[in-house]
Amino acid sequence: MSNSFSYHPSSFRDPSGFIFKKDNILYRQVNKVFKEHFDFFISSGFYEKLVKQQLLIPHTRINENLTCSDDWHATLKPEKIDFISFPWEWSFDMLKDAALLTLHLAKEAVASGMALKDATPYNIQWHKGRLIFIDTLSFEKYNPDEPWIAYRQFCENFLAPLLLMHYSKNSLQQLLLAYPEGIPLSIAKSLLPGRSKFSLHTYLHIHLHAKVAGRKNATDSVKTKFSKQKFLNLISSLEIVIGKLRLSEQSIAWSGYYEEASQRNDYLDQKKKIISQWLDKLPDIKTATDLGANDGEFSRLLAAKNIQTLAADADPYCINKLYKDIKISGEKNIQPLIVDLSNPSPAIGLNNKERTSFITRLQADLALALALIHHLTIGKNIPFEMIVDFFQSISTTFIIEFVPKEDEKVQQMLAGKKDIYTNYSEDNFEKAFGKYYKVLNKESITGSSRILYLMKRHER
Amino acid sequence: MIFELLYIDPGSGSYLVQVIVAAALGVVFFFRNIKNYIKAFFTRSPKKTNDNPED
Repeated sequence: MSNSFSYHPSSFRDPSGFIFKKDNILYRQVNKVFKEHFDFFISSGFYEKLVKQQLLIPHTRINENLTCSDDWHATLKPEKIDFISFPWEWSFDMLKDAALLTLHLAKEAVASGMALKDATPYNIQWHKGRLIFIDTLSFEKYNPDEPWIAYRQFCENFLAPLLLMHYSKNSLQQLLLAYPEGIPLSIAKSLLPGRSKFSLHTYLHIHLHAKVAGRKNATDSVKTKFSKQKFLNLISSLEIVIGKLRLSEQSIAWSGYYEEASQRNDYLDQKKKIISQWLDKLPDIKTATDLGANDGEFSRLLAAKNIQTLAADADPYCINKLYKDIKISGEKNIQPLIVDLSNPSPAIGLNNKERTSFITRLQADLALALALIHHLTIGKNIPFEMIVDFFQSISTTFIIEFVPKEDEKVQQMLAGKKDIYTNYSEDNFEKAFGKYYKVLNKESITGSSRILYLMKRHER
Repeated sequence: MIFELLYIDPGSGSYLVQVIVAAALGVVFFFRNIKNYIKAFFTRSPKKTNDNPED
């Protein structure tokens, strides 16, 4: 074993410790400076309690200074998270639940003599079918002289985007990409409608908060004791306001798609049958991504076969519906994500390495692209060649549905625009994909003119 | 000691605002609790009458 290790590119803000990789395994180091807080976190039984409730990622303690650093206090090996996602890929209700989880942890912490010292969505991840807190070093000993240190961070990272989505009746994940460290209160305040001031809790946490924080002579030399009751009142108030927020289920382009599609000559059943048969012959598939998942009908098919599936779709309403459905059904193998394939999440943050791009994170044994290609070629004018260049970086095995030009849906898309898609044909599709993929199976879906392909990438 | 660990900027005025917000919430929750108590008192009484079957 070598002594070399690499710092995780997003683990540099908190001096309490850091995440690093060694021999391809992810570890967390606790630094000496945080010893007192960390040891209390463990000895008080709070860590055990959170792990038991499946609210915090469990870890194993390694009694070795793997980084050989002088600051070393402890090395932890946290349970592995399969796929790291970012808040701009989360649907409204997922962000809302992450906010409520953060508040719940803040409350539990106070009851155990600790305080949650930061409140960012990056500390929460999707793990085994639920949201879980991943930053073990976020809990410090409670200091009765201090208010909640992460209060503003919480308001900017959770409350502000949720309120903006609620009041504007729009899913605004893109705002989180523009403000990865939270939407500044002054901006949130100016974007919210005037009537939001009439909601007491919104007024207090956003409008008044922005006003007081914006004062030039605003100082923090307040030496008033901040009792536990005050702390809990603050959390309760945030819980009340967030609990009431809803994503308006307005005009949804794709929801109801399957209800409508299913009326077409058992089209869905046929499609499921073919895919299911193919999957049975591919026992090595453990992970998959369903591109253009809609509300996850086919992701469910994969998940039922014990395949860890990322259900990605550009429509935030579909993904929100899927998220809510999974929450009720308790399905563990599906991770819903908002991703626009013609503009997947970029790499952002320090050195463009802090939050990696969707494509860098995505690795799947199998990818599904059902009734998707025509949206990319005809809807977005992306040539087949460029689609396959993109797809081949995602997975070695693909199940793709080709929807020919004469199909009713393609005709609907072409109705409002000039048909410049002379290359859009089955032949050209096969030719373009043939550059990287070999067709293992090809089957027409009875009752439609659509074709399903099972493809495998050529050996490199 | 604690201040050495303040790696996130609580935000200028954020402490001050919490003191103000907490004071306001103290009043709000005080009255809410009274309201809930009264509400509970009145919603409880019809139940008692239900406990006595008339037939």
